[in-house]
Amino acid sequence: MATTTLHPAAATYKSGLYEWLTTTDHKKIGIMYVVNSFIFFFIGGLLALGVRAELAQPGLQFLTDEHLYNQVFTMHATVMIFLFIIPMLAGFGNYIVPLQIGAPDMAFPRINAMSLWMLPLAGVILLSGFLLGGTAAAGWTSYPPLSEDRILASTGPGQDLWITALILIGTSSILGSINFLVTIFKMRAPGMTLFRMPIMVWTVLVTSVLVMMATPVITSALIMLFIDRNLGGHFFDPSTGGNAVLYQNVFWFYSHPAVYVMVLPAMGMISEILPTFSRKPLFGYKAFVFATAGIGALGFSVWAHHMFTTGAVFLPFFSLMTFLIAVPTGVKMFNWIFTLVRGQLTFSTPLLFALGFLSMFLIGGINGAFSASVPVDYALHDTYWVVAHLHYVLFGGSAFGVFAGLYYWFPKMTGRMLDETLGKIQFVLMFIGFNLTFFPMHVLGLQGMPRRIADYASGAGWNDLNLAATVGGFLIAASMLPFLWNVFVSLRSGKIAGDDPWEGNTLEWATSSPPPPYNFDRLPEIRSERPVFDQRHGHGAGGHK
Amino acid sequence: MSSSPRPRSASDLILIAILVVTMGALIIGALATGFMDGMFPPEAVTRQGREIRSLYDIVFWIAAVIFVFVEVLIVYSVLRYRRKPGQDELPVQTHGHNVLEVIWTVVPTVIVAYLFVISLQTLNSIDAVAKSPDIHIRAVAQQFRWQFDYLAEDGVTTLFTEDVATSDQGGGMHVPVGANVQLQLTSPDVIHAFYVPKFLFKRDVVPGITNRFDFTIDPAEAGQTFRGQCAELCGTGHRVMLLDVVAMTPADYEAWKAAKIEQAGATPAPSASAGPVAVTLEETAAGIKFTTKSLEVTADQAFAIDFKNEDPASVPHDVDIRAADGSVLADQPTIDGGTATTYTYAALPAGTYTFICSVHPFPDMTGTLTVK
Repeated sequence: MATTTLHPAAATYKSGLYEWLTTTDHKKIGIMYVVNSFIFFFIGGLLALGVRAELAQPGLQFLTDEHLYNQVFTMHATVMIFLFIIPMLAGFGNYIVPLQIGAPDMAFPRINAMSLWMLPLAGVILLSGFLLGGTAAAGWTSYPPLSEDRILASTGPGQDLWITALILIGTSSILGSINFLVTIFKMRAPGMTLFRMPIMVWTVLVTSVLVMMATPVITSALIMLFIDRNLGGHFFDPSTGGNAVLYQNVFWFYSHPAVYVMVLPAMGMISEILPTFSRKPLFGYKAFVFATAGIGALGFSVWAHHMFTTGAVFLPFFSLMTFLIAVPTGVKMFNWIFTLVRGQLTFSTPLLFALGFLSMFLIGGINGAFSASVPVDYALHDTYWVVAHLHYVLFGGSAFGVFAGLYYWFPKMTGRMLDETLGKIQFVLMFIGFNLTFFPMHVLGLQGMPRRIADYASGAGWNDLNLAATVGGFLIAASMLPFLWNVFVSLRSGKIAGDDPWEGNTLEWATSSPPPPYNFDRLPEIRSERPVFDQRHGHGAGGHK
Repeated sequence: MSSSPRPRSASDLILIAILVVTMGALIIGALATGFMDGMFPPEAVTRQGREIRSLYDIVFWIAAVIFVFVEVLIVYSVLRYRRKPGQDELPVQTHGHNVLEVIWTVVPTVIVAYLFVISLQTLNSIDAVAKSPDIHIRAVAQQFRWQFDYLAEDGVTTLFTEDVATSDQGGGMHVPVGANVQLQLTSPDVIHAFYVPKFLFKRDVVPGITNRFDFTIDPAEAGQTFRGQCAELCGTGHRVMLLDVVAMTPADYEAWKAAKIEQAGATPAPSASAGPVAVTLEETAAGIKFTTKSLEVTADQAFAIDFKNEDPASVPHDVDIRAADGSVLADQPTIDGGTATTYTYAALPAGTYTFICSVHPFPDMTGTLTVK
């Protein structure tokens, strides 16, 4: 299609700052979620580079103040989890879900705007600790009693700022999840039955249930910690009759489901991208829906696998459930692969990142079986092996998924394509950098290097692998340069996308790029989970099997 | 619409051959270069650790086979099904296959059920805690040091305490090989974790809870020392919470233990032996820092330091002296925050030494002692 000019709807995105600050349009809010999350991604990334610079060789060279080192890795994880991955996926959900179900907006547009604006506020509160005598430094998990106003760990305002920020982000998430649930259940276009919803919508649905049920629980833990610290409470401090392990139970009751909050929507994106670039439907749609729901349900019964070494956990139950959750994850993996099989693959950048997700998340997923085995976990827990594992899930999985989604939906959001060459350069650098950073950490962990240490002995035998990880970390940072340049030039002069540049399957491709306010002038008939495919080729085209 | 099965073209066969050869080369390369060694934990030195290692090996090889199988499937699909020029007709729109779904649900379920069962068996064996072990030790973990109380047969009474945790400072947790040692873990402050990589084992030290575990070091390991360290973030000094496990023959252990008990019974009189004090210096700790970072004394004359600890009561400090090689020349008892004491030190030959707080051995609590 030889479109040469942007759709007139693009003009509404050139509106003034006031319009952006006060908008209740889910598309603008979604874009602002994404931009906000990228800002925090870069902040979190710089903090990670600080950690890697310090660990590049033995001895304290870069972050010589060890208390600052603890603040830096605590902020890295907090920012990446709560201000990058979770809001980033919520942002894509915000943008995509109403479009994919044929709705004009989210169910509660003003609450939607409020959910968004709580996030930068929380980020500023969290990081302001750096200017106010120190941020939280007890790790992103902030286990008491370490986080209970203990010297050399948690005195000063940082820990309270952390609590405040997390409660704000949690409230934002809860409001967002209710908004998603109402939107998905009440605002689907005629014909869009539950089992015709795109998988992306299904993953946001299950994610929202997880968020709605789990987030209030961590909020309670945070409030109890705040009371302990500031009002003389005794919930978690054993020296005054509290129970330190109680916090861990409550914390992980949220924070393990949060792992699925951080990965399910990315799986949803992959499940949109693989079919489009294979020119085939997703293999096993219903199995995929059931697997997603299964992960959501099982996700609530595995939290204590983070606590196997506390000596205060009923081990067999949590071990069994953790093993079992591998099954629905495996079902998804095979369905993705069989979506590729006998397809006609076009290796555009979104597909490259999606394939990066498949091959890297595979490693993170299989690693989960090691931690599920309690005796093996005794060896691996709290070592760099765990750092490797979680990054293969959250970076190799979620972050690769985010970039896949960004390259895929950027044309819809802006009306212009991102440059393919720069995209491929970014992918290659990021893929190599990622593996160079995190693969060696498996080995370091097996050799006994604990997490969260500022330094290690030069005779410990960990020098070479740490250096490799640091080089890889800077390579990941370098891969962001072609990305930023790409966004910059493509916004100004990228190829005009047209309504449907990828031959997509779902409703967002049936409207203009960018879509007009309230999204659709007219909807195609919805007779399957691929209405735009049906419109293009006819329902039942290409034969069924 | 049914489609006839695609004939396997020569290019497909070549593709499969290339994949097989590449994978084979990668696997052989991995084995030959020692890459695979990095995929395994160290050889265990305890009975329990060896059981964990056997279990790890099973889990690893099953995982490795699944990984290679799935990754090859991905790479194969990517190479095999790329869109060729002129391929405009849609591929067959396969929506799923129920038999395949059942297969890839049931087979993984069987695999993880097997892994669960063997993990549980190993767990029951390594987590077993004896009613009357051969040796009771209580490890006390606190910010940022380990202390080992050797207990009587009742598991309660302390016979003597080893408060130097690493062997390069002349301490460490000494245990006889072949004996069933039961370690009790307690913490007066925050959560720590006892971790010795060569045990392939760690256990949290949770304030308010006494965790216990048993271990038996293999007889062949007598004379070896195993480095361990705290594995649960416990504050700024987390990384310095090192410990050593010193494995001894039973005879050596008995001799070491007897000497320790005798030492503990004797009246400690180290300061009295220092002789008359030539000079008294002053040092203060505040905000986990020494206010004076360099001190100077005369060679071959005993001296003293008036030491004030101005930190909160829960923060103990001391002023030890170490030689350039890190060996401890003077080991003083700690004092709590808000108190003061006078430490006396025996004469030292001329040279440069380090004075340091053994609880917080960071740059802020390290100074230079010049003796001339």
